[in-house]
Amino acid sequence: MADSISGKEKLQACTTLREILEQATEFERTARDFYAELAPKVSKKIRYLLDELVIEEQAHYDLFTDLADKPEVAEQIKLEIMTPPNNKRFSDCIQLPELGDKPDDQSILQYALGREQAAMDQYNSLAESAPEGPIKDVFTFLAQEETEHKNELEKIYYEVVHSGGV
Amino acid sequence: MSIRDLLSPFSAWKNILRDPVTIPDPLNDRPGSDRYRGFHQNDNEKCIGCGTCEAICQNGAIDMLPVDSVATKEGDSGLRPRIDYGRCCWCALCVDVCMTGSLTMSNEYKWVESDPDAFRFTPGVDKKFWDNSELGYKRPEEHRLVSPERIEMREMNVESRIDSFAEIVHGYSIEEAQLEADRCVACGLCIATCPTHMSIPDYINAVREGDYEQGLRLLYETNPFSNVCGRVCTRKCESACASRHEGEPIAIRWLKRHIIDQIPHEKYREIIGDPEPSTGKKVAIIGAGPAGLTAAFDLVRKGHEVIVYEAKAAAGGMTRYGIPEYRLPYDALDRDIETIVSMGVQIVYNTRIGADIPMQQLTQDFDAVLLAIGLQEGRQTRIPNSDHEKVYRAVDLLDKITAGEEFHLPHCAVIIGGGNVAMDIARSIARLQKQQYGQVDVVLTAMEEQQHFMADPDEIKEALEEGIIIQDQCGPQGCEIDQSGKLIGLKTWKVLSIFDSEKRFAPVYDNGDETIHACDTVIEAIGQFSDISLLGDELTEKLEWNRGRIQIDSDGRTSESWLWSAGDCVNGPDVVHAVADGHRVAASIHCYITAD
Amino acid sequence: MTYQPDRSQYPNKKADGSLDIDLKSGKFLKLWQGPQHPGITGNMSVELTVCGDEVVEGITHVGYLHRGFEKLMERRTFIQCFPIVCRICVPEPDFNEYCYAAAVEELAGIEAPEYANWIRTLILEMGRINSYLMYCGGQAGSFGMGVISQWTTYVRDLMLDRFEELTGARIYHMFILPGGVRDRLPEGFAQRMEETLCEIESTMSDVYNTMYCNAVFKKRSVGVGVIDIDLMDAYGVTGPNARAGGVAKDVRKDQPYLVYPELDFEPILGQDSDIYTRADIRRQDLLQSVDLVRQILAKMPEDGSLMAKIPSVMHWKIPRGETYIRGECSRGEYGYYLVTDGSGYPRRVNVRGPSYTHAMALLERMIVNLNIADVAGLMVSLHTYPPEIER
Repeated sequence: MADSISGKEKLQACTTLREILEQATEFERTARDFYAELAPKVSKKIRYLLDELVIEEQAHYDLFTDLADKPEVAEQIKLEIMTPPNNKRFSDCIQLPELGDKPDDQSILQYALGREQAAMDQYNSLAESAPEGPIKDVFTFLAQEETEHKNELEKIYYEVVHSGGV
Repeated sequence: MSIRDLLSPFSAWKNILRDPVTIPDPLNDRPGSDRYRGFHQNDNEKCIGCGTCEAICQNGAIDMLPVDSVATKEGDSGLRPRIDYGRCCWCALCVDVCMTGSLTMSNEYKWVESDPDAFRFTPGVDKKFWDNSELGYKRPEEHRLVSPERIEMREMNVESRIDSFAEIVHGYSIEEAQLEADRCVACGLCIATCPTHMSIPDYINAVREGDYEQGLRLLYETNPFSNVCGRVCTRKCESACASRHEGEPIAIRWLKRHIIDQIPHEKYREIIGDPEPSTGKKVAIIGAGPAGLTAAFDLVRKGHEVIVYEAKAAAGGMTRYGIPEYRLPYDALDRDIETIVSMGVQIVYNTRIGADIPMQQLTQDFDAVLLAIGLQEGRQTRIPNSDHEKVYRAVDLLDKITAGEEFHLPHCAVIIGGGNVAMDIARSIARLQKQQYGQVDVVLTAMEEQQHFMADPDEIKEALEEGIIIQDQCGPQGCEIDQSGKLIGLKTWKVLSIFDSEKRFAPVYDNGDETIHACDTVIEAIGQFSDISLLGDELTEKLEWNRGRIQIDSDGRTSESWLWSAGDCVNGPDVVHAVADGHRVAASIHCYITAD
Repeated sequence: MTYQPDRSQYPNKKADGSLDIDLKSGKFLKLWQGPQHPGITGNMSVELTVCGDEVVEGITHVGYLHRGFEKLMERRTFIQCFPIVCRICVPEPDFNEYCYAAAVEELAGIEAPEYANWIRTLILEMGRINSYLMYCGGQAGSFGMGVISQWTTYVRDLMLDRFEELTGARIYHMFILPGGVRDRLPEGFAQRMEETLCEIESTMSDVYNTMYCNAVFKKRSVGVGVIDIDLMDAYGVTGPNARAGGVAKDVRKDQPYLVYPELDFEPILGQDSDIYTRADIRRQDLLQSVDLVRQILAKMPEDGSLMAKIPSVMHWKIPRGETYIRGECSRGEYGYYLVTDGSGYPRRVNVRGPSYTHAMALLERMIVNLNIADVAGLMVSLHTYPPEIER
């Protein structure tokens, strides 16, 4: 994803918590807008997926904005990362599709999973390279958020695609 | 008479120094023996409220009643036995017959109470001081009043079935069926669980009585697909059967089939009776599968004109094009369909709505339309290289096998999926391989552990017998292709766990444990979806949807007042569920078109 | 020393053979013995016509205890009948369980396992001991010796303890059911049974000294209530009542059932056929049963199958057929006549209890000429249980 790579460079350049969170918020906003624009184009049958993705990205957007506005944010983030979620790695085998104008439900989910995976990887590697301190904590926190979201999407993916083949 | 006869009675005086033999404090010093039949105990967690205790009690001392602390759920009536100790004779037949072993007796027999009504209570619910008593009568293991073992079904052996599509199961003889029917305690828990609420205890009774005509009438009251369901039903009834707790469940499916087998097909029509006089109303049904045809059957019997549009050359939907012949012979399916058609249902074959006839046409020509299009399209894994030409969908191949179409039979196939469709394709391919190549080479991979496969356990057992190799806990990661572009295998990773604590999908892999399953063909059998393009953009946009499925109300009606939807396309795959759905929408359509 | 009644007071016979009893003459008195009377053997009564203290006529009346079991069983499934039958004879219930179970097994083509048959035999002999203990107390009581019944009731209670630990109940054991028996012998049962048997033997020795070797008992029972040998067949007399007159009738020997062929015993016979001889035969029978229980516990297999495979009881149908199953209970021949018609219910059940013949027809015949004071003694000496007369 070309966007993510340039995003990573942008993030590396950030020096304060606030800057990082603002940058991350920006990514969520672009994603939200992307899904929102795609929604009316797909069949109404699968529109719920995009609607849900918009809600989810919006929630992330709100969360990051709120965090950036709060002075006690560093403390809060520390608490959050005490219990990191497990990356289930299911999406490793999901190929990132070209989303045309008429994607099906499986492609949309594949795309969303790919995006979450990329974001998660990016924050993880930033967290690894950042020195101990609040900056590292914020990246870890963001990676965690994306991982959780990705896990949730994987569950939906299974429910939609793998109906068991009965 | 001797002097001894005068003196010897005085020997009674020796007892004057004897201690009294009476127990001074029997309330405390005289517990009942270890196996004493005292007041009842009932483990309410184990009890399923089947009421067999009530049925066997020859004193009428037991009443099955609802209790606040127990909810009605699948396989549990929510009722619990209340015992009237004014009637109980402590014979313990209720304990002997108890289907779960929940009912036992304590060794407590001393209980004094001034209120006579207190001696009518529900053990385990109304707390008593003997509830936790270890001693008392428990049924000895080998003392069984109802046979725990199912009468074995005779089947073709592996050698004779592996290269044949002939039906595996032979069916019960009359004697076998009656013995199996005798095991049923007629609790009726199955009725609630069966999606179409078949009168199971009643038709099992018909088997016992040998009254097969009555049996057939009962079957047709709720299910015009008894030939099909007598063979391939998912038989949720058997998972609610009271007999399953301490033995094998009643073979309800086989008994249904037994009834069907006993009646010559020519007599079906006469036994079921004629439809009602014509009402002049017309209903179009899209899809001649179990849901569509069940609705058609009901509506035609109500006197409506019904035309069923079927895209394929024959009716039955997935039961014909999905289920292999060795499980469901076509002639059995044909008998069900012929009976439905004999009622006056018209089926228009080879006609695809949307392509051959526009949907709008139906709305104009008919009073109501039912969409029962099933789940015909196979889902794809879309793992890397899965777009290779040698990667197939199971439903597509099964369709070809039924239709007799040519396809390249793999020498070595790997199946992805652990459901019944995966088993169907694996076993079908195995049969064809045996016929054409003389040997079976099919590997079935699935993410679940084998005991958690969605496939029927019998299917798994038989597949293994037929030489299919099952490799469970394998998560597909990609298809392997050599330099010439030839498919050479499927790469999987070991699945460590598959579900999270909420029972939702969240697989954990060990990517260090990688396997390449060598093959020339990969067949995906992971799931299905329905192609709704026939609706057209406009109608698709007008309809309300619910997570990818057309939104319907409890009667199966969509947000458009003239359109209903039923069967697999709204419920997911299950024949008997589709039949239940067909009845439900037919009732709703009937109400709608006869409203004025 | 034989009791010689004064025959001068006898009523004359009328032309049709019936007795010419004119109550208004003041020579005769109607006297009801029972149904509530300490000298009666249960809920029945005898309508006595007496002349002075002599009985000139006795008519038995039953019906106080009719519960209609035979009819009830026609409306109950084969398994549901099983808990009912024990009630037909309260003091010796197990015979009903055995006869019913054996009848059902025969008609349904089931064979009870050998181990179950040993336990069945054990239970029947335990029941016989209890029945005789009850009789001893009653026979002594009928002649005014109250203490004997207290002793025998105590040891009978000990045997009920054994019943309780084996079967889970003291009186209505409900242990022998079609197909087999409910459970195995409990741990240490033989040891505790031996203690009980010793206690019974010691008590019976006391009973022998105080009752059988008692001038009063002998004076009132020897030569009284003699059953004429010629009457035995005509009145269907069986069991100790017959054996006291030298008639060797014992179903256990005549038509062996259960495991009796493997047990070592000979029927005990008497000669005089009077109350004393019958009492003595029963005492010896009791001791023989004690020996039989010991033999059973020594000879029976360690373990085995309890139940034959029976059809699922909720829908058990038995093919058309009929059978009569009999056995030797403490009072004589006890039998079940069972008719089945292919349905899930007995078509007809008839219980042949020895009390029916002994307590009604035979008693009416024997009671004439007796002193009023000996009526109770005679009744008890026939050892009858009204619940089994009425069913």
